[in-house]
Amino acid sequence: MKLSSVGCVYLGFTGACEKKKEEEKRVKMIEVVLNDRLGKKVRVKCNDDDTIGDLKKLVAAQTGTRADKIRIQKWYTIYKDHITLKDYEIHDGMGLELYYN
Amino acid sequence: MANRTDPLAKSIRGTNPQNLVEKILRTKIYQNTYWKEQCFGLTAETLVDKAMELDHVGGTHGGNRKPTPFMCLVMKMLQIQPDKEIVVEFIKNPEYKYVRILGAFYLRLTGTDVDVYRYLEPLYNDYRKLRFKSNDGKFTLTHVDEFIDELLTKDYSCDIALPRIKKRWTLEAIGSLELRRSALEDDFEEEEEKDEDDQLVDGLDSGDNDKDYYRARSPTREKDRDRKRDGHRYRDRDYDRDRDYDRDRDYDRDYDRDRDRERDREGRERDRRDRDRGRRRSHSRSRSRSRDRKDRDGDDRRRRHRASSSPKRPEDRDEQPKKKKEKKAKKDDGTDHPDPEIAEQNRIRASLGLKPLKL
Repeated sequence: MKLSSVGCVYLGFTGACEKKKEEEKRVKMIEVVLNDRLGKKVRVKCNDDDTIGDLKKLVAAQTGTRADKIRIQKWYTIYKDHITLKDYEIHDGMGLELYYN
Repeated sequence: MANRTDPLAKSIRGTNPQNLVEKILRTKIYQNTYWKEQCFGLTAETLVDKAMELDHVGGTHGGNRKPTPFMCLVMKMLQIQPDKEIVVEFIKNPEYKYVRILGAFYLRLTGTDVDVYRYLEPLYNDYRKLRFKSNDGKFTLTHVDEFIDELLTKDYSCDIALPRIKKRWTLEAIGSLELRRSALEDDFEEEEEKDEDDQLVDGLDSGDNDKDYYRARSPTREKDRDRKRDGHRYRDRDYDRDRDYDRDRDYDRDYDRDRDRERDREGRERDRRDRDRGRRRSHSRSRSRSRDRKDRDGDDRRRRHRASSSPKRPEDRDEQPKKKKEKKAKKDDGTDHPDPEIAEQNRIRASLGLKPLKL
């Protein structure tokens, strides 16, 4: 009896784990806010598997600056162009700092 | 003190020559170690020595965008503003390719349009390799003529916005410049002669190809674009005409059954007139008549259609809705979303080459 109940709990636990993994693998749309503290505040919708380089292109399309002039930071951490938003753990509604090169 | 422009220097394009480089990049160069150590108190002669030591070209690199020594030397040249003869010497020297590139870059920033074309175009013949440091810090391979082409055609290079110069055909039209003579012109002429001989044999008219080549260069390119766009519309009109034409042909067949094809073609004029007149009269009458005719003379019609080279009608009809369906499917992938904000974002993403938003 005990073993089966433990077994049931275990199965339930693994089921939840798998569900979470599936949830993590799915691509989500997130909205990021970029602020340059000089009056430019931009809200950009993007997928969380976009890279920072793609995000810079989207911001450039919206602000009119060149994409390679934009620098995205979070308190001295300069975000690199080839890493995805998901890997940087940028979630929906998060604010990033916009600087220029 | 060290960063002030030479007081005897002329202003370029209405401003301090150092202002050709943007403020942020300028500040970065002033804070750079290479600038502080090596570029202090340089004159035109000592600058040549430093230029000979260059081993790569580039703008800025890395996360905090560190400028390259090439950038620092360009800045120094803008600061001391050497004479035009010295710059031309830089460009003409054959041994040191980086000195050449430095001179070419400086001339592109400061020289007049005619000078730029006159002194930079001979460099198209230089095929030597260059080491280019890209924004992420990696070195890539490029060539002198590729770099010169970039300077002459694009408006941004090495993180500096290049000043606008007039296009070459404008200067040719004014008469300040002659037509460009390529060093490979003799080879081209030989090839052209060979092509002409082939054409005479094949009987093809490649005059259109030449026309297109020049058209691509001329400002009438937009006419070309419009023509391509309207080509689609003409096809639809033909389709309509075919449908009505057939109806009228059946109507006329009543009068003269022994009509041969030649007369049909001439009779198209008459049919068009009749179509304009007959269209408003009664569609149902002609339609029913054509339907009867289909039963009676179906073979005749089919034979006639098969003989012609234009697309057959049942297939034509199938193609049109299929095309419409494909178009609709494509839009669903990207920009056809009820929410206008998301549709707008998807449109921007599509123009940048990114996948649409996952909803």
